[in-house]
Amino acid sequence: MNQNPVMIVDDEEDFRNAIVRRLKKRGLNVIAADCGETALSYMESQPVDVIVSDVKMPGMDGIDLLKIIKNKYPASEIILLTGHANASDGVSGIKEGAFDYLSKPISLEHLIVKINQAKETIFRRLEKQKEVSFKETIKQKMIATERLASLGTLAAGVAHEINNPLAIINEACGWMTTILSYENMKDIPRKIDLDKALKKIDNSVIRARQITHHLLQFSRKPDCRITDVSIDELITETIQLLKKEISLKDIQISEQKSSLLPSIGSDPGLIRQIFLNLLTNAIHACQTKGTITIDVYPENNGIRADINDSGVGIPEENMDKIFEPFYTTKSPGEGTGLGLFVIKGIVEQLKGTISLNSKYGEGTAVSIFLPCLYQLEKKSKGVKNGKHTH
Amino acid sequence: MVSIPINILLVDDEEDFVEMLSLRLEEKGEKVFTAKSGSECIECLEKQSIDVIILDLKMPGMDGIETLKHIKSQHPLVEVIMLTGHGTAETAVDGMKLGAFDYLIKPSDFDTLTLKLDAARKRKDEQEERIRQAEAKLLLRRSGVI
Repeated sequence: MNQNPVMIVDDEEDFRNAIVRRLKKRGLNVIAADCGETALSYMESQPVDVIVSDVKMPGMDGIDLLKIIKNKYPASEIILLTGHANASDGVSGIKEGAFDYLSKPISLEHLIVKINQAKETIFRRLEKQKEVSFKETIKQKMIATERLASLGTLAAGVAHEINNPLAIINEACGWMTTILSYENMKDIPRKIDLDKALKKIDNSVIRARQITHHLLQFSRKPDCRITDVSIDELITETIQLLKKEISLKDIQISEQKSSLLPSIGSDPGLIRQIFLNLLTNAIHACQTKGTITIDVYPENNGIRADINDSGVGIPEENMDKIFEPFYTTKSPGEGTGLGLFVIKGIVEQLKGTISLNSKYGEGTAVSIFLPCLYQLEKKSKGVKNGKHTH
Repeated sequence: MVSIPINILLVDDEEDFVEMLSLRLEEKGEKVFTAKSGSECIECLEKQSIDVIILDLKMPGMDGIETLKHIKSQHPLVEVIMLTGHGTAETAVDGMKLGAFDYLIKPSDFDTLTLKLDAARKRKDEQEERIRQAEAKLLLRRSGVI
């Protein structure tokens, strides 16, 4: 149970000190106040769970104090001490929300029992609140997950349906381009216009294809293929894939890996996707001669990778939008706005976490944690290694 | 350089796609046969000599993977390039484990397709050449020359 102090409020110094001393002897954390005002100023600076207050005090009396405390600190409980002949004070105190009252002279045992009961009540209420808010968070998360899942199914459907006609446009356009490239077509009227229009169609197909392919990545089927994954090898591999763009911009990439890097159980294909997207982002953000640093190190039952770039950074006002689908600052055709959205989906699928810090003009830091999924896999029988479902 | 046309069998239920891609491949000088389903594909294989099959994985009826299994069991030397509209490469990777040569995601880049077609035909030619040499050797050994 929590260790917030019990406060004794009484104007009679001897009585107050005696109670405090005796309660302390019994191992309780006790503080004392000589009047209501002092008690309230104490509570400003530190939380007090249980207040034991005399009713009869000069100035602010116990009932007034009770009202103020109940109003300001509804989580606290107050035990009132009444004079022997004034039990009605206690009753009206309970009506105002006091936990209980004791008539003076009080028995110490009785007081301790009451204090513990009050603490117990507070504790239970707190637990209940925690449970309610936990349930609420889970519910919100489930709603979000379900929405994303159905969005994913829809997106995959749309992407798939669009890919087919897109493929037809692509082949038709390519066919016409081939025909127009023949020697005997060289002098047909307005050939330049036709070539120009076909080039536009071709570019647009590529652009639309990027979008549909990204959408399909996002809506991957939920079955991961868990095998041993060496994250640093995957990163080195990914850097190799991006070598051309890196050298084109003369970007310095430094990779620091902890020497004792364990391999983890996860999905290598998905992780490659994560790093490909993240490194591509970092490269795009960097000016010529920029730097990208990658730190990989073990963290409880998993691996953490930090990717920092010296790029343009993200303005603060955009930070809460970066994981939204179709949010991009690139010009149309250059970015789909699905990169980080896809990454977030994958990281969550792999039970990991991703966080992003950025300072506009200084660069961006992405930190990813990926857990070893073997233990998790054992628990759920449904996911089998190498099994594939349509 | 005179290039020998590749005998291609294009299998996809999307008729317009089959038409346009085959026109484009023929324009390039390849010989293209078409099939609208897995069973048509298998029928065609019985009649024609095919080098490379371009096979869509998602078709009604007999799907791409089933068709692939059949092709690989009946005509193991024919190379298969899979086309997948479904962006996940996993089905395609499964296909490659079953013996497909490679895969492409729709809509695909024509140059990439061309490269893969050439590579697939090359592998088939080389394999057939090895078989011929092995057969020749066997024949020589049998007739006691070696």
